[in-house]
Amino acid sequence: MDVVIYGVINSISLALVALGFALVYGISRLPNFAHGALYVTTGFVTWSFLKTLGLNYVVSAIAALIITGIIGAAIYRAVLIRIRGMSISEIVASYAIGLAILEGFRYWGFKGMTYTLPTFTKRTFIILDVPVDGHRLLVVVLGVVVMLLLWAFTHYTRIGLALRGMAQDERAAMMLGIDSDLMALLAMGLGSALAGIAALFLLPLGNIVVEKGYDVLIQALAVCIVGGLGSWAGAIMAAFLIGFAQILSTVYLGAKFQMVVSLIAILAVLILKPSGLFGRQKELEERV
Amino acid sequence: MKKALFLVCVVVLTLGFWMELAQAQKPIVLGCPLPTAFLYGWTAEKGIKLAVEEINAKGGVKIGNETRPFSVEVIDTRDLEPGVPVSEALMAVEKLILEKKADFILGGPVRSEAALAAMPLVSKYKKVSIVSSGCLSPKYHETVAQEYDKYKYCFRIHGEAKQLVKEILMGFQELKDKYGLDKVFVLVQDVAHARASGEIISKLAKEKGFDVKGMEVFPTGTADFSMGLMAVKKSGAQIMNIWMDMPESAILLRQWYDLKIKALPFGSTLAAAEQPGFWKATEGKGEFTLCNVVNAGNAPSEATPWTMQFYNAYTKKYGIEPEGLGASSSYMAVYVLKDAIERAGTLDPDKVVEALEKVDMEGVYGRLRFDPKSHQVIPAFDPKEGAVGSILQWQAGKRVVVFPKSIAKGEFLIPQWMKEK
Repeated sequence: MDVVIYGVINSISLALVALGFALVYGISRLPNFAHGALYVTTGFVTWSFLKTLGLNYVVSAIAALIITGIIGAAIYRAVLIRIRGMSISEIVASYAIGLAILEGFRYWGFKGMTYTLPTFTKRTFIILDVPVDGHRLLVVVLGVVVMLLLWAFTHYTRIGLALRGMAQDERAAMMLGIDSDLMALLAMGLGSALAGIAALFLLPLGNIVVEKGYDVLIQALAVCIVGGLGSWAGAIMAAFLIGFAQILSTVYLGAKFQMVVSLIAILAVLILKPSGLFGRQKELEERV
Repeated sequence: MKKALFLVCVVVLTLGFWMELAQAQKPIVLGCPLPTAFLYGWTAEKGIKLAVEEINAKGGVKIGNETRPFSVEVIDTRDLEPGVPVSEALMAVEKLILEKKADFILGGPVRSEAALAAMPLVSKYKKVSIVSSGCLSPKYHETVAQEYDKYKYCFRIHGEAKQLVKEILMGFQELKDKYGLDKVFVLVQDVAHARASGEIISKLAKEKGFDVKGMEVFPTGTADFSMGLMAVKKSGAQIMNIWMDMPESAILLRQWYDLKIKALPFGSTLAAAEQPGFWKATEGKGEFTLCNVVNAGNAPSEATPWTMQFYNAYTKKYGIEPEGLGASSSYMAVYVLKDAIERAGTLDPDKVVEALEKVDMEGVYGRLRFDPKSHQVIPAFDPKEGAVGSILQWQAGKRVVVFPKSIAKGEFLIPQWMKEK
């Protein structure tokens, strides 16, 4: 039973981490390699508001999310807009920005293991004889809520529908009067804020360290590549696949194989189905 | 004309005097290859800089008739970061030697793999190197002993894994005698010294009559230890022996508390729990966590008169107590080097090596001497006999030294909920 419970928790956590990356790529075809840096940014900004300015946790978290969203949008407006469509340049530029942000934090003294955010609850629950801490359970509940809200946003709001239109066919969307650059800007802002939401849910479980930014980027990439770049549903499915594979490998092979699973999953998918489980890059599959 | 000649003479004489003075005060450069963003790196840097400041304030290092100050050059090796290749640390060491003109290498590299790889490099350039933080692998001093002529320039001034294992086993015995805890589970990070130490401690604990329930290896960067902890719980283990220097070890300790695993966390290296900020960072969930900070002085005790003197000086200068492994040993590395240089009367590496082999002085963590064959600092459980270790336990928000008995400030405790059936 513990495998099922912790498998679900791990999968939802992975889905949360990858959702922002998948959203940005799905809408604007921009691989945002600064995703991990934005995740860590939310953590440090929240910590700073909370501990340095003494603001309320909720206020600090909301302010940090807004700031992260603005940073994401600014990255697009200032840099990525100029190189849009040149995928290698997009990767290099966004990775460089992420690197600058992360190493900037290190340079500004955000190092060590004492930067932490408080957990939402300190209670521990016993579910079918398996002890689970309350915060992880809340991550599952809130994670599902975030995914449902995102689904509702993209299906029932004008902006959401415009974003989906862009994701389906950018040229057709432009013919209908949808501003491509504005939508890409919104997608970057929203995707960055989603990275921030993941950070707010997951960082209280440990500590905020710069290295987390690199880990998060790898996790997001693994999930999105396995699920199929651009597919939100694929990302969620892949999160469950990798999430459970990690837990099962820990139980049956040993914890040291936990990290390898994500990388093996990427390799296996690239060899067997390059477009990913739900990917829409059929032409790539055809070429291979 | 006469005036001009006089002025030229004054200028020439002044310049000559100034150059002579500059030459006399040419600093002895200490090259420090350290991962400055990590605990074991920045504690070493702070320890070295504090000692250098104190020594320079007292006039510097006497070499024959002249006195020269120390200067410190630090290059970030990033060797504790996951995924950073060992070659980065080697480049840092070589840069310190060739570009920064380091006379000696002090502090790191810190990761055992990097420190071992740097041994041929410092030996090639005949640079005396004193490793003072992080590197715990017994292979370091064993390599010196095996190929003395090649690696005689390499010294280590802090404790190593085999000594740590001895201390940990004695700690286990105290827990067994006092609370009846005799079932052990070993949790290690997937790095050389931790894997090797985990194997050694498992073997020795079995020999000492402990029931070793298992060993789990976690990759660097693991963010969820729930399944590992469930395995500990199912095994019925009562002590969790942890060898991890990654920041994520804080997650392990939080989860241990949240899941109420009835196995006391006993870190051999447990970077997250060493720092004074650990209590606040875990909201007190880390209470009762034990960890070995390798040498006295990295947590408050009165091992020697030097100990609290160093402790207070560090706290005053940096506004924080010595934070863990590397602080006291790096501080002492500078003093030991000063002593050796002064006795050698030269910076000649072979003569300094000879002098270091004869070092016998009291320091922050006891009597400091190097084994002349392996160049490992000689350990002991009594500060009058050798370099003592320090195991601390978090008790009511404070780091209390509980081992060795000769310097202990408190006793081993276990949480009330661990006593309940």
